[in-house]
Amino acid sequence: MTSTWTIALRNLARNRRRTLTSGLALAVGVAGISLLGGYVARVELFLRTSAIYLQNTGHIVVYKAGGLEHASSRPRKFNLSASELAAVRSTLSALPEVELAVDYLSGVGLLGNGCKSVPFLGVGVDPKLHARVLQHPEVVRVTPDLARPVQGKILAEYASIEGAVALSSGLARRLSKSRVHDQLPPGRTAGALPDCKAASADQFAADANVQLVALTYDGSLSAQDGEIVSTIKTPLSAADETTLVTSLSRLQQLFDTDTATYVAVFLKPSANIHAARDSVEARLRGAGLQVSVYAFDDERINPYYAGNMAMLRSIFTFFSVLVACVVALSVVNAMTLNVIERTRELGTFRALGFTRRDLLGLFVRESVLLAGAASIAGVLVARLCASLINGAELRFQPPGVTDPYQIVIATPPALSAMTCAALLCLCALSTWSAVRRSVRTGIHRLLSHAAA
Amino acid sequence: MRRNLLWILGCALWLATLRPSGAAQPGPRVAPSAQALLRVADRARGGSDEGVRWTIQLKVEDDGETQTRSYLVRARGTDALVEALSPPRNKGEIYLFNDQNLWFIKPGLQKPISLSTRQRLTGDAANGDIANTNYARDYEATLSGEESVDGEPCYRLELKARTKSVTYDKIRYWISKARELGVKAEFRTISDQVFKVATFQYTNKIQTATGGHEFVSKMEIRDPQKPRARTILEFGDPHVERLADSIFNINNVAR
Repeated sequence: MTSTWTIALRNLARNRRRTLTSGLALAVGVAGISLLGGYVARVELFLRTSAIYLQNTGHIVVYKAGGLEHASSRPRKFNLSASELAAVRSTLSALPEVELAVDYLSGVGLLGNGCKSVPFLGVGVDPKLHARVLQHPEVVRVTPDLARPVQGKILAEYASIEGAVALSSGLARRLSKSRVHDQLPPGRTAGALPDCKAASADQFAADANVQLVALTYDGSLSAQDGEIVSTIKTPLSAADETTLVTSLSRLQQLFDTDTATYVAVFLKPSANIHAARDSVEARLRGAGLQVSVYAFDDERINPYYAGNMAMLRSIFTFFSVLVACVVALSVVNAMTLNVIERTRELGTFRALGFTRRDLLGLFVRESVLLAGAASIAGVLVARLCASLINGAELRFQPPGVTDPYQIVIATPPALSAMTCAALLCLCALSTWSAVRRSVRTGIHRLLSHAAA
Repeated sequence: MRRNLLWILGCALWLATLRPSGAAQPGPRVAPSAQALLRVADRARGGSDEGVRWTIQLKVEDDGETQTRSYLVRARGTDALVEALSPPRNKGEIYLFNDQNLWFIKPGLQKPISLSTRQRLTGDAANGDIANTNYARDYEATLSGEESVDGEPCYRLELKARTKSVTYDKIRYWISKARELGVKAEFRTISDQVFKVATFQYTNKIQTATGGHEFVSKMEIRDPQKPRARTILEFGDPHVERLADSIFNINNVAR
């Protein structure tokens, strides 16, 4: 057995230039697939973490049946009532895969600075639970920049401030509110009414006071004062000019309700998200609750994640197929030339008692050895390129995202192993297909074949 | 001699006041100016340079539920101060209309909030619906025909907003020929889709410096998409009142 592998290795060394050329082609293919796959894997991780933890959907979202479609227009009917929320929480607490369940209330209104008002999309959440989500190890590892406030601290740090609100940077900018609570002298109150025709940006920035106004669920106009304690980044630029985060109780007060729009369920890292979704839905319905449960990757919940991942996976598949075709053709070409050059040698082997299967095995071994060496080289090249790219801290801004983010290419061992295994199989198969007809030829014809 | 001269002068003056005989005959009827019609119709909906005060009972009926609110309106020219009287939760809230700007002031709130007249107040009523109407100022009007509304001959006017800060982009407005009052309005989107229809009644009377005239008593708003819903504004106790400039000043009202 060992001798066959040795012969295969020696055969590779006979035509070093061809072996090197073929090996390089394979190594470049492996490196390319590894880099592209690593990039897609990293983007997926970024989008997933951002969708689950920063866009407040959790791994699983529980709405009242029909709530996803109608809660924004008919919240009184399609929000989860206080008793339903208690029942959901009680059911979820019994599930071992659930790490945390958080109630979220969302609603629209206007935010004013004393002179002008702009629309906001408000999110109400318990500040302590919100802090747990923002400080989750996965967020700290993958998207620390997005979770960290641009100005001020996270909402939970301002429990003593009535009406504490966090605004997205774009929303604060639209109201000329360039300073937050901590950046202003202590003990100051809201300034005098600005002269709206002559007011300057400095005048608006002199305090962090804003007014929230919205229609309650029974149609009355409701208004509250708010104090900007932080400005935050939103993962998607579409939300940058409209996002307001405040405590659940404060937003409930504004809309005069004790309901919530949905419950976001955060799972433990080991949990299977789709299996957990099925299990949560079955348990909640079993408890008599009319709810709809969605996984975070449902395009109705996170269209940006679902759309981008579908596109990236298509690109990855397309390039993988392209590289596979190039590799297969290159191997078939090299092996065909090899067989033609070594036809009389094959005849000699056959005359010495080697079977057709032995000869086929010899060529496949040569191919596998070449693919193995190229795979190792390709993975090493990919890792080198990845560390160079990561070290260069290149940044780019994908469409629809607020801030440019650093291109980080992960080269997970599992992906490298899969790429190498796929290459080995592809090379073995291509060789088998290129050589099998030649080794079937009779010995006398092989021996009488004119040397190339 | 002197008496003759006076007599001749008197005859001359009398002759000067006479119109040519042709002018006294009824000629072909000339369509009135659309803007002039609007000005007259506005007067019956609070659009007057005199200070006027009235109350509004606003009822929203939707899907079998009814909600009621009431307001006190004081208006003059392009300004209006609307104070919420009920329900108790909203009592004391003020809507201040300064020209085409609208401020919402709530007791205890540190600053007033700028709102749009287009925003929904409650039911199908927009903020601008509770203030005085100044269609002649806010809209470019053209007379597009004549039609009967509930058997009453009317002029049909097409109103197009002069600025974006008014309550509606387009209005089709029917003004009674005989009474010179707006009896029906279709509120339209910029793409000419009807999204609300309002009808008006005028059983109130108001005495002004120039005499008495009718004043709006009821405005009923319906959304064609929501057949089970209607919003009714009942206007009561309209009377002229001397209103100081200061009550329409945001700095005074917000303090």
